[in-house]
Amino acid sequence: MENLRALLVVNKIAEDCERLEYIPADIENNSETAKDIVENGFIVKFKPSSDMDINAILNLIGETSNVKSYEVVEMGAVIELTGTVNVKVTFEEESKMENLRALIVVNNIKDKCTKLTYEPADIEGNSAAAQTIIDSGFIIHFESDDPKTVIRTINASPNVKCCEVLSAGEAPAPAPQAQPTVGNNPVPAAAAPSAPAAQAAEKKSVEQINTMLGNKGTGQKQSLISVNLHKLDTLLDLVGEIVITEAMVTSSPDLKGLRLDNFQKSARQLRKLNSELQDTVMSIRMVPISGAFNKMTRIVRDMKVKLNKDVDLVFEGEETEVDKSIIDQLNDPLMHMVRNSMDHGIEDNVQDRIARGKPAKGKITLSAYNSSNEVIIVIADDGTGINAQKVLEKAEKNGLLTKPMSEYTDKEVFNMIMLPGFSTNEQVTEYSGRGVGMDVVRKNIEKIGGSVSVDSKWGEGSNFIIKIPLSLSIVDGMEVSVGQSIFTIPINSIRESFKIKPSQLVKDTDGKEMIMIRGECFPLIRLYELYDLTPGTDDLYEGIVILVESDGKCACIFADELIGEQQVVVKPFSSLLNNFNVKQNGMAGCSILGDGSITIILDISNIISDF
Amino acid sequence: MSEVIYSAESKKSAAADGTEILFFTIGDKTYGIEIEFVKEIISIEQITVIPKIPEYIKGVINIRGKVVPVISVRKRFGMEEIPYDDRTCIIVLEFDNGDQVGIIVDRVQEVIVVGRETISKTPDCRNVNANRYIKNIVDLNGEIKLLLDCNKLIMN
Repeated sequence: MENLRALLVVNKIAEDCERLEYIPADIENNSETAKDIVENGFIVKFKPSSDMDINAILNLIGETSNVKSYEVVEMGAVIELTGTVNVKVTFEEESKMENLRALIVVNNIKDKCTKLTYEPADIEGNSAAAQTIIDSGFIIHFESDDPKTVIRTINASPNVKCCEVLSAGEAPAPAPQAQPTVGNNPVPAAAAPSAPAAQAAEKKSVEQINTMLGNKGTGQKQSLISVNLHKLDTLLDLVGEIVITEAMVTSSPDLKGLRLDNFQKSARQLRKLNSELQDTVMSIRMVPISGAFNKMTRIVRDMKVKLNKDVDLVFEGEETEVDKSIIDQLNDPLMHMVRNSMDHGIEDNVQDRIARGKPAKGKITLSAYNSSNEVIIVIADDGTGINAQKVLEKAEKNGLLTKPMSEYTDKEVFNMIMLPGFSTNEQVTEYSGRGVGMDVVRKNIEKIGGSVSVDSKWGEGSNFIIKIPLSLSIVDGMEVSVGQSIFTIPINSIRESFKIKPSQLVKDTDGKEMIMIRGECFPLIRLYELYDLTPGTDDLYEGIVILVESDGKCACIFADELIGEQQVVVKPFSSLLNNFNVKQNGMAGCSILGDGSITIILDISNIISDF
Repeated sequence: MSEVIYSAESKKSAAADGTEILFFTIGDKTYGIEIEFVKEIISIEQITVIPKIPEYIKGVINIRGKVVPVISVRKRFGMEEIPYDDRTCIIVLEFDNGDQVGIIVDRVQEVIVVGRETISKTPDCRNVNANRYIKNIVDLNGEIKLLLDCNKLIMN
């Protein structure tokens, strides 16, 4: 493991050097370099910092464990990295597609440079450039405030073999440079941990490297483990069962009326541990959404060429974490919507964009963020937007309208594009126009318990907003009873619950009931009426009213009584029931309570939106 | 939890020369379903009503932590419902996709191995068996019994 030993050397002298380069460069991650070091030695180019002497540095190198000998190869002037810096990058032999690798290098450093040109220039489209790069290297000219970082970035880019500074634009300041070759003492790896005590004082990174050496280099791999998703599902199910069983034990009817201080104490402890266990299992399943986003890069790139549109794809909040099973379901809808944005959204003609005062280059933004218990994903483009009139006309033609045209709000109109068989595109293209896309998108998103909405401004662009639950499995709920049935209302949609006074009840001309709370008026939904049940009581003043909120809309729900708060494990309805639109009727799933009875989990947003 | 009266562990051991069929009665008629679909038979238990679904789906039950919808075969066939008694059973069917559905029947009779030659097709005619719940007709020593199509029974 000479490469890691070389890294020790580098770490040791890094603090005292103003500039430091070494060949081979990727000693940290590439164990192949060890062989290289054994054969050719490890070459370090450095310029000591102003308060250090070259000899002091050489001594430091000599002191490092396992270093057999070092020799100074060359001492000379260091080219000061100011002005335009010219760099020649060579890639590892047989790395293939050097032009694209060069493009990766360029992409890596372009943010750090104030000016950047390179030869050959047409690396993106011209695969013949690869040969040129193999023959004469890839030359980069850049200006940067921090050229060292740039060079370091180049060195760190994948497949870069070495990066050589050719010359600098401005007067080079002479400075001594030493190039010692460090020969490595081939000590067996196991001997490393017993290295001199001096090492103990070294930086933490050195210790890490030593640990790696001690573990024969396997340390890094041990921190990750890939697990079959099915096993995690089983684990989650089990945790769900434990939560239910815990409730069964602690609220067992046998315990009623007993005074059990110790039992209660242990039960509390158990509950705490259980919720921790739950959180941990959940967090295991969470993966960043960046994976799903990155797949869109390719689609946008391909379509850019095919449709001849210049578009930037921008990610925001791609580190947002979502349940793995949700991410898997998200790929297709995302792809559809990005394609839509590319095809319909961004203008065909650049002149149209300029005429509207927008930059010539289109922009599609994929953003994700957390909001209470949901993850919100927005696909935004700055294209034409949706022509509400056109959508409405098309809807009328297809006989999709249920009320007079003038009564539709823009939002309702935009959401029509998600109806099955709807497409305003006159021509069917490779990418869109078949009228199945958005319908499928909505179905897929609803399958994972989410919702899609559309917002658009003609001429300015469209936003597709996907809301998905953070996790499908466990919710905090408030149980309420209506006659024989028990419903669970997710706690995060409850604002308050209360008994009302006669003075709070307001009726409109149709007899629809509303409730006044602190000067605000909310519609009243009687659960038993909504679901045709026989209530325990229909007297508003006897039962309980719960103020719920979703998407900024509020409503009051009337039920017989509150039973209590409990964490429940969401069991989705079987496909048989899903055929009957249970979801649209405001039921998100069901759950099993401690006593084995089943409760229906309400989907407040669907209940409210129907009112 | 309800007592398991019969559990189909021996599904695979169907006789080579015939099909194992579970027979049950609704009113005075006997129907059969192929044993492959039967997961277990349990006695009737508390059914949780799910609102706003067709009347023939009575609701859901809890079978060892699984929420399973139950269908009333009487209602499905447009018959009058009768009060449940201690012979009323729920036959839990399991489909290839893992979905489980319970069907409420009046009485479970027996499992009989039926030879292939005794099974005949239903007449292919629009007015008879319009819903196509009946898959085959079994002639059991002169006794005619109807074999139900589980998929049709469940689907709308």
